[in-house]
Amino acid sequence: MLRRLFARPTEQDKTPKPMIIVSGLPRSGTSMLMKMLAEGGVPVLTDELRSADTDNPNGYYEFEPVKQLPQHKSGWLADGKGKAVKIISALLEYLPGDTHYKVIFVEREIEEVLASQQKMLARRDESSGIDDAAMQKQFEEHLAAVKYWLARQPNIDVLYVEYGAILADPEGRCREIAGFIGRPLEIEKMSAVPSAHLYRNRAK
Amino acid sequence: MRTIIVGFDSFDPIQFERLNAAGKMPNLGKMASASGYSRLEVCSPPQTEVSWTSIATGVDPGSHGIFDFVHRNPANYAPYVSILPTKKTVLGETFISPYTTRTFFQEAVDMGFPATAMWWPALFPARPEIGVATLPGLGTPDIRGQLGVGTYLSSERVEKKKSNFGLLSATGKGRYSGVLEGPPVKAKSGVAYATQPVQVEILDEKEVRLIIGKQEVRLQPGKWSPIIELVFPAGFAFSIHAITQVIVTEIKERVSLYFLPLQIHPLHSVAAYATPPSFVQDNWKRCGPFLTLGWPQDTNALEDGCISDEQFLALCEQIFETRKRIYFHQMEHFREGVLAGIFDCLDRVQHMFLHDQGDVVDGWYLKLDEFVGQVQGKLEQMGLEKQRLLILSDHGFRPFDYKVHLNRWLVDNGYMQLAEAASPAEPARASWEKTRAYALGLNSLYLNVAGREGQGIVDAASLEGLLDELKTKLLQLKGPDGGSVISRVLFKHEVFSGPYARLGPDLVIGYAPGYRASSETGLGKIPSGPVIEANHDHWGADHCIDAAAVPGVIFANRDLSKIPGLSFRDIPFLALGKHLDQSYIKPPSQQGPEGQKDLEERLKGLGYL
Repeated sequence: MLRRLFARPTEQDKTPKPMIIVSGLPRSGTSMLMKMLAEGGVPVLTDELRSADTDNPNGYYEFEPVKQLPQHKSGWLADGKGKAVKIISALLEYLPGDTHYKVIFVEREIEEVLASQQKMLARRDESSGIDDAAMQKQFEEHLAAVKYWLARQPNIDVLYVEYGAILADPEGRCREIAGFIGRPLEIEKMSAVPSAHLYRNRAK
Repeated sequence: MRTIIVGFDSFDPIQFERLNAAGKMPNLGKMASASGYSRLEVCSPPQTEVSWTSIATGVDPGSHGIFDFVHRNPANYAPYVSILPTKKTVLGETFISPYTTRTFFQEAVDMGFPATAMWWPALFPARPEIGVATLPGLGTPDIRGQLGVGTYLSSERVEKKKSNFGLLSATGKGRYSGVLEGPPVKAKSGVAYATQPVQVEILDEKEVRLIIGKQEVRLQPGKWSPIIELVFPAGFAFSIHAITQVIVTEIKERVSLYFLPLQIHPLHSVAAYATPPSFVQDNWKRCGPFLTLGWPQDTNALEDGCISDEQFLALCEQIFETRKRIYFHQMEHFREGVLAGIFDCLDRVQHMFLHDQGDVVDGWYLKLDEFVGQVQGKLEQMGLEKQRLLILSDHGFRPFDYKVHLNRWLVDNGYMQLAEAASPAEPARASWEKTRAYALGLNSLYLNVAGREGQGIVDAASLEGLLDELKTKLLQLKGPDGGSVISRVLFKHEVFSGPYARLGPDLVIGYAPGYRASSETGLGKIPSGPVIEANHDHWGADHCIDAAAVPGVIFANRDLSKIPGLSFRDIPFLALGKHLDQSYIKPPSQQGPEGQKDLEERLKGLGYL
């Protein structure tokens, strides 16, 4: 009886506003999704240290302290409750376990991701020591491992959204995202982002 | 937190998917079409008591210590039932809990919620100190402390292999008398059995009067009696209460009756049958009497020819209906916490009928699907339809066409030497000082290790080589059809982790579908004759084979498609939303690609790290 009285977690223990994480492989459409959230009315956590360029003309929506997660530097998370932040899939495992996260995980055909990455690497004047076939295999294994791990994290809810589906049906996906994060969003503004993105890519 | 769990022992994914494709599983099929279905990876070995314990704890046998239905005492090689261990105390020999590893039921209680586990294996004896309300399942003994031995009384002497036999003597026209032996009691000459006199009177073709002790029961031939409560005098001012059911099976050529194994009376149990007492009393009084034996569907009686197929199935039906009644009663009182019940008639029905009466088995799948619909209906009625609902099984099922006498194989291949028999009638036994390996249990093989086994001879330096050699040769063993008899042989370290792993078998034998260890192998016996024997028993299907060949199922009212690789380890998480053991969840960087370095370099090159 005593255990029942004193051990039960209360409603107050639950984080009222979970942190919203936009994740996926680099070049899978995470920046686009961050812009969609921003347009939709979700406050975003970004320092804009990495400015817009040819690869991401609308900006990267990155937050530099995120890179320090593997060093267990996560004090900035306290300011992020209720906000959206972009964290690539490889860094998700370093998120502290005591916070409730809602992860919107963008999935995109790996061939497209790799093609986009190659372009970006070339523009950054970086060389790739590994060929696309080997990288594809590693990304596939990485994604399988991330999904296995994510599915078993009690503090993380995940919504997988396909990049292609966002472009094909922006409004439908925006409504799905709004339902997932549990707050009203400006769907019209939000769904205009992928349309513009698609127009830009077609125009290239 | 509200979690409703329905366990269907041996619910097989292949059978489900076949029936669902034919549109015969409307309720479970609906859950499946909403992504709420997955095959479930089960533990090795896929034995009922091992598997449900692994599900309840989220860990493999190396962490809970139940490795096989039969374990052995390494000191003297003696087999014992793993789920019914005993301990000698000043009061005599008492049952002790077969494991103490934390279950999700216990975790729920510690989180402040009530938890109820009904008919879950290995929960006997009850553990009131952990606060989980229980009615135990598999492993609950009869009042003799056995796993269930019934009594066949007949006016004609017949040989029975698995049941007790008692002779009915004619005392008049259509009148007979005999004795029903009860529990063992102390006597001047050692141990004797308390008894109840039995009188039988054939009134007509449709009615038999049975007087047992001072009780009179009217029976219809071929129909089970209601549950009868018996009291056996067991010494000065002491008596033992039992329950049973009886059936008159013959009244023409001879008169025969069969009594189910005498079972613990839940309201008068000497051992801690269930907990708390009010929970047991409430179920008994509100839902009516119920059988308490861990394996109440009397397969022994069917195998022994004491009862017919129809009588066995009628018993299963009645057990299922009683459990449903109790389960629904508990649902009505369910407000929060965890409520779980296991329904195991399908397991027994498949053991006995899967090989030759598929329609009977299909009927039970349909019956379980209907039950799921009833549970869902009740949840809707209670406004709880959005709470967690899990429906799962501990393993699937496959035909059992051939028995494998593994110790015979060990003898034939020089790993086991036989001791010289004193007489030709004496059963073969191992000469331990010349034996390197022995099989005991349905999936277990042990090396005769020096310093571990009482007469061990295999030294530490030879262990690895011997294990490799055995694995190689066992995988080469071919059956009459030319196919492999064994599809997987797993080393202890591959399959067990945790503090008890060292106590487990050295090799886990994963038989290919169609094959299973013989019962003799289970008990460590060494029959003469061939290694492979065709199985002509009524018991014609089984699951104690390669775990990969008999996955279980899981259904939930949530999307399971996003949880890849669902296994028994995930059940506590799905039930409570938290893990009891996280050792199996490696972060992606540790379980993912070998080329983690390449991945990091790529991310750095792109400016993301």
